[in-house]
Amino acid sequence: MATEEDSVDQEIEEGEELEKENKGKKVAKHDSGAADLEKVTDYVEEAEIQAQQFANAMQVVSDQQVKEAARKLEKEKELSKVKINKDDVDLIVREMEIQRSQAERTLREYKGNVIDALMALTN
Amino acid sequence: MPTNQPLPPKENTLFKRILKCYEQKQYKNGLKFAKQILTNPKYADHGETLAMKGLTLNCMGRKEEAYDYVRKGLRNDLMSHVCWHVYGLLQRSDRKYDEAIKCYRNALKWDKDNIQILRDLSLLQIQMRDLEGYRDTRYQLLVLRPGQRASWIGYAMSYHLLKDFDMALKILEEFRKTQTVKPFDYEISELLLYQNMVMREAGMEEEASNHLNTHDAEIVDRLSIQEVKASLLMKAGKMEAAAKIYRELIDRNPENCAYYSGYEEASDPASPEERLKLYQDVLAKLPRASAPKKLPLGFLTGEAFRKRADVFLRNGLHKGVPPLFTSLRPVYKDPEKVKIIEELVLGYEQSLQETEYFSPEDVGNAEQESASVLLWTHYFLAQHYDFLNQTEKALAYINKPIESTPTLVELYVLKGKIYKHAGDIHSAVENLDEAQALDTADRFVNSKCAKYMLRANMVKEGEEMCSKFTREGVAAVENLNEMQCMWFQTECAAAYRRLGKWGEALKKCWEIDRHFTEIIEDQFDFHTYCMRKMTLRAYVGLLRLEDRLRSHRFYFNAAKTAIEIYVHLCDHPVTENEEDEQANTENLTPSELKKLRNKQRKAQKKAALEKQRQKEEQQKREAQKAKAQDPDQDGPKEEDLIPEKLARPEDPLEQAIRFLKPLQMLSSDRIETHVLAYQIYSRKGKLLLMLQCIKRGCAVDRNNPQFHECLMDFLEKVKSQGDLASPVSSVLKQSMEVIYQGKDTRAWNNEYLEKNSDSLPHVLTAAKVMYKLEPKSQDKAVVLATNLDLNGVTIQNCTEVLESLRRGDLGQCEAEALEYEGKCHERFKYATAFMGQGGRNHVHEHIGQSTECNHDHPIES
Repeated sequence: MATEEDSVDQEIEEGEELEKENKGKKVAKHDSGAADLEKVTDYVEEAEIQAQQFANAMQVVSDQQVKEAARKLEKEKELSKVKINKDDVDLIVREMEIQRSQAERTLREYKGNVIDALMALTN
Repeated sequence: MPTNQPLPPKENTLFKRILKCYEQKQYKNGLKFAKQILTNPKYADHGETLAMKGLTLNCMGRKEEAYDYVRKGLRNDLMSHVCWHVYGLLQRSDRKYDEAIKCYRNALKWDKDNIQILRDLSLLQIQMRDLEGYRDTRYQLLVLRPGQRASWIGYAMSYHLLKDFDMALKILEEFRKTQTVKPFDYEISELLLYQNMVMREAGMEEEASNHLNTHDAEIVDRLSIQEVKASLLMKAGKMEAAAKIYRELIDRNPENCAYYSGYEEASDPASPEERLKLYQDVLAKLPRASAPKKLPLGFLTGEAFRKRADVFLRNGLHKGVPPLFTSLRPVYKDPEKVKIIEELVLGYEQSLQETEYFSPEDVGNAEQESASVLLWTHYFLAQHYDFLNQTEKALAYINKPIESTPTLVELYVLKGKIYKHAGDIHSAVENLDEAQALDTADRFVNSKCAKYMLRANMVKEGEEMCSKFTREGVAAVENLNEMQCMWFQTECAAAYRRLGKWGEALKKCWEIDRHFTEIIEDQFDFHTYCMRKMTLRAYVGLLRLEDRLRSHRFYFNAAKTAIEIYVHLCDHPVTENEEDEQANTENLTPSELKKLRNKQRKAQKKAALEKQRQKEEQQKREAQKAKAQDPDQDGPKEEDLIPEKLARPEDPLEQAIRFLKPLQMLSSDRIETHVLAYQIYSRKGKLLLMLQCIKRGCAVDRNNPQFHECLMDFLEKVKSQGDLASPVSSVLKQSMEVIYQGKDTRAWNNEYLEKNSDSLPHVLTAAKVMYKLEPKSQDKAVVLATNLDLNGVTIQNCTEVLESLRRGDLGQCEAEALEYEGKCHERFKYATAFMGQGGRNHVHEHIGQSTECNHDHPIES
């Protein structure tokens, strides 16, 4: 087991040298600006900040999140209650060349009134 | 781990090493470890290892193998979050973001709290601006890792971007409190300035001001803090304090014009004299600064202006500052000032010629000026008269220094520019070529020369000119594309378009479009980087820039060209065998036509040979590519742009819409956008979409000539419509009433003509509409359009009139066109557009002589 580990390590070393060489070549090929750019994609371990009492802040945060979700859900619910006519949706899709989902949504927002929806879409 | 293929400890260690190698970009080592696992027959099918091998290969540019391995890995272990994650990363690298998100979601099904996957998901969400999704993911990350600062910043930022400032500030403040400040802590400083930025965007100016005062000592970016403080003080009406800071900023950088406008606004001078004094005070302390010398010329008038301009001009001419005219350009808005400048400089010229002093009074009182001062004076006067469109005088003035100093590059550049403005692009090219030959190491002049060549439709020559500065061993055009050199590609597209080479022109437009896509993709890596480095203000700035990227004029121009070509191709499709180029054969005599045909035959032969050569080269290149793909090239390999194919699109209007969409999103404040949109949708016969263009255009600039044509066309179209689906017709009816107020086309057009009777472009449009409505009114329309006694009689506008006449926009009127051309030629002597077909060379010689003549006779001024 130990010997195998050693051989692996040795290989890593060789490999690392190889990689280094490659990197050196790259820097020479481009200017230093490109080398800096290369660093942008380097992997860096996240620095942990000292453990603190986040409980209070977390409370605020999660309250807000819950409220937000509820509000969104309500609006979606209300919208989905609106009855819309399939022919109207077809007409909007055909005339305005927009996606079906967008056509449906607009129609719902205008309470299923196709003329109002079209007036809004042509603005 | 919910994998169904667990590895024993030794192999597991190896596998972890593969992961590490991937993170540290040591791809070769990664492959080695993968091999060690996979060569063991027991684990040859290990899904996660196969997937990681594929991902590593992908980073080395071996795309096809990468997909094979990753897919194989996934098939072998469908319950592994690693395999799904890897597949997502692979898709992401090919910019298939929707697919990648699906993969990440699958991965999260098997490991719902995996930090790395959640992070990668959040990156895609911000890249695609799914802001709500981003916020939710950031929330999960915060709950899982409240100890990491990126969790807090990312979550706060998601609220900022959603414009929920309160929440963003709350989170930032909580986070800030956990931080301990080290001395000269750049990251904390940036965090504070970011926090301040959010406050200001929320309109909390007082809080922002207090915030800066509280944390003053912690902020190390002194320039930013001063700038922010000054603007906050000003908004709060604390003028004196604001003025003080602006003054400090001026001392710091006396060339930043924004500081002066802030300084003025805060000091609120009561009179021009006091206003001038502000600048003189600065000058007393910083005598070498140039902004405080230049800026007062903008607001001073009359004698005060003359006095300062005199000093400014003498100083510039004495030193021989080439861009002296450029710095005075803003002043040229005011005709009175133009006159004063002219008087002053003509005075210098005379005095310098006679006495070598700026003015006779200087004789004996000052130093004698050197000969070069007269040269720069002439150079200035040439620019001055060029600005005033007095070509003769401008040329006369530029010829003088050329005679005495024939080796000065600037002189030829200017002479070329004068010719360009006068409408003689070929003489312009000659001069630029001369300039370029005088200093072949000057890249600016080289580029200018190439640009002029392209303007003269000399595409090949332009390319060759550029090749002096592009990388060796690669075709200049390819290198310039790689370097995203968009001015070149824009000019090429325009030149090819004028030559009727639609496919080549479209290729350039698509290349430019791809550059913009590339720039948007390039932001991806910065989502992680900026958060880590805490450069949050710059990061938000980047996100906002990318959101509006295609509003850039480079995109606008390329899109406009492309749309216009596609619209043309919709009306005049190129047939299967037809050569791309469609010379305008209608205006040629039989002998000219014969010549042209001969030329075309020769060109065809040549083109066939060229094609053969290109094909061979292409094959060679592909063979090379297959051998080793460039590992630096990320993103998917894109479809080749083949001009022959581009010129024959199946759906030209749909292609045009692809260019149109970004314009509608980002450049809806430009009337051209709605004119272009109308041209597309009117051809598609979509009434409501046409209505959309009309409504939007009316809101931007109803009086625009091109738009007026659309307005009139739409009214006629709607009138001629029969029965329509009822919702459509009610929408139309409602809207038409608002837009046209019940008046008919004729009434509108007459009104338009009356309102704009003194402007050529407007009159031309009205004339065209008039003829279209009533062909009997042709004579009247032609008289209107060919009137040269209007505003806006420029070479370009007159060329448009001439083209309209030739095209038959005003009916058959060959004789009128010829006559008009003659009149324009009288007016614009140098413009080749009015020299008749083929007559250009002849007249050109003649002009050469006439400028020659100017040498001999000193011009009266």
